[in-house]
Amino acid sequence: MRAIWFVSQIAFFGLIASRMINVTAVADYFRYYVGGLSVMTLYSAAIFIGFDIYEEAEHGVFEYLLSLPVSRQQLVLGRSIGGGIRSFIYVGPLIAISLYVMGGLNPIAFLISLFALFLFSFGVSGMSITIAVMIKSSDRFDIFMGVLDALIVRLSTAMYPLAVVQAANPAYGGIAAFNPVSFAADLFRWGTGIPTIITLDNPLWPVLGIVAFFGFFTLFGVVIYGKRIEGGSWR
Amino acid sequence: MMKGILHIVELDLRNFFRYKWWLVGLISMNLADLFIMAVVYNFMLNSQVTERIESYFNFFAPGLAVTGLFASAFMIGREVNMERRREIHHYMLSIPMSRYELAFGRVISGGIRGLVYMTPLLLTCFVFVGFPTVPQLLLIVFMLFMLAMGISGLSISIAVSTSSFEKFVTARGLVYYTFFFCSSVFYPLFLIEDLGRSGQFPSILVTFAEVNPLSNASDMIRSFLMGTPAFSPYWILSVAIFALIFALTAAFAYIKILAR
Repeated sequence: MRAIWFVSQIAFFGLIASRMINVTAVADYFRYYVGGLSVMTLYSAAIFIGFDIYEEAEHGVFEYLLSLPVSRQQLVLGRSIGGGIRSFIYVGPLIAISLYVMGGLNPIAFLISLFALFLFSFGVSGMSITIAVMIKSSDRFDIFMGVLDALIVRLSTAMYPLAVVQAANPAYGGIAAFNPVSFAADLFRWGTGIPTIITLDNPLWPVLGIVAFFGFFTLFGVVIYGKRIEGGSWR
Repeated sequence: MMKGILHIVELDLRNFFRYKWWLVGLISMNLADLFIMAVVYNFMLNSQVTERIESYFNFFAPGLAVTGLFASAFMIGREVNMERRREIHHYMLSIPMSRYELAFGRVISGGIRGLVYMTPLLLTCFVFVGFPTVPQLLLIVFMLFMLAMGISGLSISIAVSTSSFEKFVTARGLVYYTFFFCSSVFYPLFLIEDLGRSGQFPSILVTFAEVNPLSNASDMIRSFLMGTPAFSPYWILSVAIFALIFALTAAFAYIKILAR
């Protein structure tokens, strides 16, 4: 389903929408959009780990996990990294398609951006787990994540450059400037080495932003997860 | 006959409102598209497009109402597919009403659900883009109801012809994205036609975008609220044919599956 969405977004939306974009706003909107689309797909795949938490609780797998000889911290960290790797494996072929469509690659820059995307993916998984154990109801989680997805993706540079977002609405621009999806999308485009879609002068700031995002949700996730699972309060 | 249909409509509407928080979530996602994405896109349009549509926000608002209608009218298919897999249709057959009442009741209720969900989106569109005259409003509601019936029929047709939920979801994905992205919901039709003329887009998809009922319904609302594109009675005919074909196909396919 997500693969159909991805391909139709490139073949239809990317191709047609690029025809209505002013080249002074984005020189090559088609490639710009394909880069952002890869990060949007990675984000939505990494979110899915949260749904597994509910399924495990429903099927009694949670008790089994708690009985394993691992600490709570190891459990959360393992889940968050596992969720990130899983989504990366899933989105890997789609990212490969994106790179093929976009052409061009700067190997060193791409390795740095790939590392940042890994951390981004772990961070999103950690965020999903944290929210899942805080909300407790799978229906409410589904709704909340849907709304969050709509806001976090649209208020980022995944679909449009930061300068345009700031020109449209300074408040939107303020959020987009500190949005981890923006960091990941900008780094991914920077990693391709295609000058017409690169918006970063210095990749250090987004790399630091992603490290902070990963660190926060991993640490916060460990604390929240640890508190919620004691005494069966996750039920 | 009408009484039986009304009972089915009532049942499906009650089921629909069981998901009220889910609906609120979905509407907020749609509004995020309008108030964030469309606002930002306004600042990126090239002069060729701004000459024809002026504002992307105004252009997109009617399209968004139509996509909302499509998504919610399509939900009935998910329920029919679930009923088929869990063999709940045996219970439906035990209800004292004819199979025609049952089948047409499902198609009509899918259409009404689409209209109910779309109403806040259409009102938002009117508030920000402009209000139509009373005859125009009646024509918009009539056209959208026909469209919703057709979509509901399309969804039920897919639901009864797919044996597993995975197959239904995949088929739904293909239909959703083809109808959404190969239409004038997100971008003006002339862009798709230009791509077709330059050989960058298959002509079959250009034709599909032109006859796509989502394009016709969005363009009709735009023609009333924005004055562009120029109104064409062909749009009503196109949506009516779509609704008739899929409402009948769904009803007969549903009856066939019930009788198995």
